[in-house]
Amino acid sequence: MEEKNKKPKGKILSWLDERYDLSGLLEFAKKKSVPKFRETIWYYFGGVALLLFVVQVISGILLLMYYKGTEDLAFESVHFISTKVSFGWLIRSVHSWSANLMVLSVFIHMFSVYFLKGFRKPRELTWYTGFGLLAISMAFGFSGYLLPWNELAFFATKVGTDIVGQVPLIGEPALKLLRGGTDVTGATLSRFFGFHVAIFPGIFVILLTLHLLMIQRQGIAEPEDYQKLPDDEKKTIPFFPNFAMRELLIWLIVINILAILAVFFPWELGNKADPFSSAPVGIKPEWYFLFMFQVFKFLPGEILFLPGELVGVLLFGIGVLLWAIVPVWDKKTARGNKNRLLTYVGIFVIIFIIVFTILGFILD
Amino acid sequence: MKNKIINIPVSVLLLILSFYTLPAQSTDQCIKCHLDLDDTHAKLFKTDVHFTKGISCAGCHGGDATIDDMDVAMSKEKGFIGVPSRVNRFQVCINCHADENKMKRFGSNIPTDQYEKLKSSVHFQQSFNDQGPLADCVTCHSVHDIKNVKDPTSKVYPTKITELCGSCHSSAEFMKQYNPALPVDQVSKYKTSVHGHLNAKGDPNAAECASCHGSHEIQPVKDSRSLVYATNIPSVCSKCHSDAKLMAAYKIPTDQYEKYVKSVHGIALLEKGDLSSPSCNDCHGNHGAVPPGVESISKVCGTCHVLNMELFEQSPHKKAFDEHNYPECESCHSNHLVEPATDAMVGTQKPAVCVNCHSTEVNSKGYIVAGKMKSLIDSLKTEDSETKNILDKAGQKGMDVSDATFSLKDVRQVLIQSRTTIHAFNLDKFKEQIDEGFTIVNKAKINGEEAISDYYFRRIGLGFSTVIVTLLVIGLYIKLKKVEKKS
Repeated sequence: MEEKNKKPKGKILSWLDERYDLSGLLEFAKKKSVPKFRETIWYYFGGVALLLFVVQVISGILLLMYYKGTEDLAFESVHFISTKVSFGWLIRSVHSWSANLMVLSVFIHMFSVYFLKGFRKPRELTWYTGFGLLAISMAFGFSGYLLPWNELAFFATKVGTDIVGQVPLIGEPALKLLRGGTDVTGATLSRFFGFHVAIFPGIFVILLTLHLLMIQRQGIAEPEDYQKLPDDEKKTIPFFPNFAMRELLIWLIVINILAILAVFFPWELGNKADPFSSAPVGIKPEWYFLFMFQVFKFLPGEILFLPGELVGVLLFGIGVLLWAIVPVWDKKTARGNKNRLLTYVGIFVIIFIIVFTILGFILD
Repeated sequence: MKNKIINIPVSVLLLILSFYTLPAQSTDQCIKCHLDLDDTHAKLFKTDVHFTKGISCAGCHGGDATIDDMDVAMSKEKGFIGVPSRVNRFQVCINCHADENKMKRFGSNIPTDQYEKLKSSVHFQQSFNDQGPLADCVTCHSVHDIKNVKDPTSKVYPTKITELCGSCHSSAEFMKQYNPALPVDQVSKYKTSVHGHLNAKGDPNAAECASCHGSHEIQPVKDSRSLVYATNIPSVCSKCHSDAKLMAAYKIPTDQYEKYVKSVHGIALLEKGDLSSPSCNDCHGNHGAVPPGVESISKVCGTCHVLNMELFEQSPHKKAFDEHNYPECESCHSNHLVEPATDAMVGTQKPAVCVNCHSTEVNSKGYIVAGKMKSLIDSLKTEDSETKNILDKAGQKGMDVSDATFSLKDVRQVLIQSRTTIHAFNLDKFKEQIDEGFTIVNKAKINGEEAISDYYFRRIGLGFSTVIVTLLVIGLYIKLKKVEKKS
């Protein structure tokens, strides 16, 4: 009798259950629980990033129907999308805004995992794949920024790829690989278009699948304080429906925010890029690169007999590498002890990013 | 021997004195001897201005004019140079004419800057066969029979100068060696001009070559230093034509320059430096300068304003103007004081020029047409302005109306074309032209209005979707609370 009650109701569900054992899946979902503690809110940003990625894919596919990735037609096609295609303006604006919100969500997600020490053993690989997803998200933004082939994007890409060229040893070949030559041209646009719609989505989907599978397999990481609690004091909430409904609630709020941003602040197109004109005043990259851009602007021409930009690239490279391999060098947390230095480093990095991003916005 | 020794310083003293002070006739052995030989040059030199000032042949040829022994007087030791070389004979002239003190000693106060001016002039370029400057002092002033410039027998006297310049400039054979593109008909044209006629009658005040081109300082016409460079012409002409005293004899007005500088052409040429704008010579001709006759006015204006001329010639005005002997363009636009043509020139109220001939009583058909044309132009301008406001409003709302805004630029073109079409004085033709502007404006206006509607549609759509999503959020929240309460 009990066995019968677990069976899904309805003809279609029964038909599917008979073939795909849905009742087993439902049973698994009912049993799955998520730890409940005061920082639970930070868990939701991974899901928000996932939602925004889906929005990106859908809006991106719709844009692809009209976008033309060549030097002569890119700007005109985006202008056509924004002015002539029904709801084209909305799709483009949603695509641009959700890209920015997605990067923001991924950043928040990364910092919440960092501060809650979610990277500890046995979740090192989840951290690494997550870090890879952040890198690809930023690469998505960088490559997508050039696609409308407008003045601002053209020169920002020039500056951005110039910085890549400063990387020791691999800088020059990497620069040529990115630009498809020595300068930013139509070849760069074709390349960035290829990266944006084929290569990056492919890598992203693989990393995302691995990331989700690992979370599914290992469960959500428990914070240090929560982990130390006796089993009977550990509060949990069922994944389904409670956690799923909370996630859905936040998704709906995010969709509302996205719609308001897209309608009230439509993404501007600006002027078509002219490779022969001089760089306009106030060229800036996307906000998530702005702190790096601003630091490079502050760097002197020469530091200890080395070019300032090279020193900047090296320092950022080392910093990002150390951040990425935190599970390797943070032995204290791995042993179950509190590592306050790690928290201070995290706070410093957040303050650093916020301060230099603000400076980047307010200074010319 | 003793006498000879005494004679040397005496001879030197005499030479100096003869050069500066003594009358040449009494002591000049050169002229004495050469006249005895019936020498043409010596005969000519007797009438030369230099001879009258006491300058001997030795002044240019060197030697000692006080010695009657020809071999001594014309010896190298005495500085005899013979006929000065063609290459640098000008040096002989500038020896005195570039030296103010020397000139004063001869009692002359003529300027001494001729050589400085000549040096930088087009005429001082080297001749193609290395024979010195293309033209030097002798080329124009001649030799041995040089006269004061104000002397009617001088080769450079105003009534003679045309012939002098023409001796080179009218010779195609000669001119093509230096400037094959330069016309050689200046003198023949000049002879047909008012200036030329007066000059031929012996009027020294009538403009001749040097009056406009200058004398020693002549530059190519396209050189901005030239007196006849486009931007310099009005002031060159006004030198005489604004001189009321000088012009009184000819009974012509002297306010042309004053008017021209205020005209649309004068402002364009003199203030904006627009060389395509006409100067005096573009309408009156240069070498063949004459006042354009009534018949030729539209032709003169039509050299630049081609369409306006063609349309006018097809218009009903052409016949009427011909019958009444009215000047064509000038009747509405004036001549020297051509003001910018504005839309106010058309219509049935002053300052419209149409009312000069048309009224409700006289030539009323033209009066009605003028009113309709004015009304159509004003309507298009108003519509254009209103549409711009609508598009601005849409743009301020963040809507993309760049295509429509861009299309409005064509209205400006239509207005320009319509203002030209007015010269046909044909209402149907004018309407056909200006209607293109109304079509563009109406299309842009619709685009602007649609963009504004779209703006509100987007907000209403956003409002609906926000309400729906918010209701879903509230519903989900209530459901979640229930579920959590249950568990």
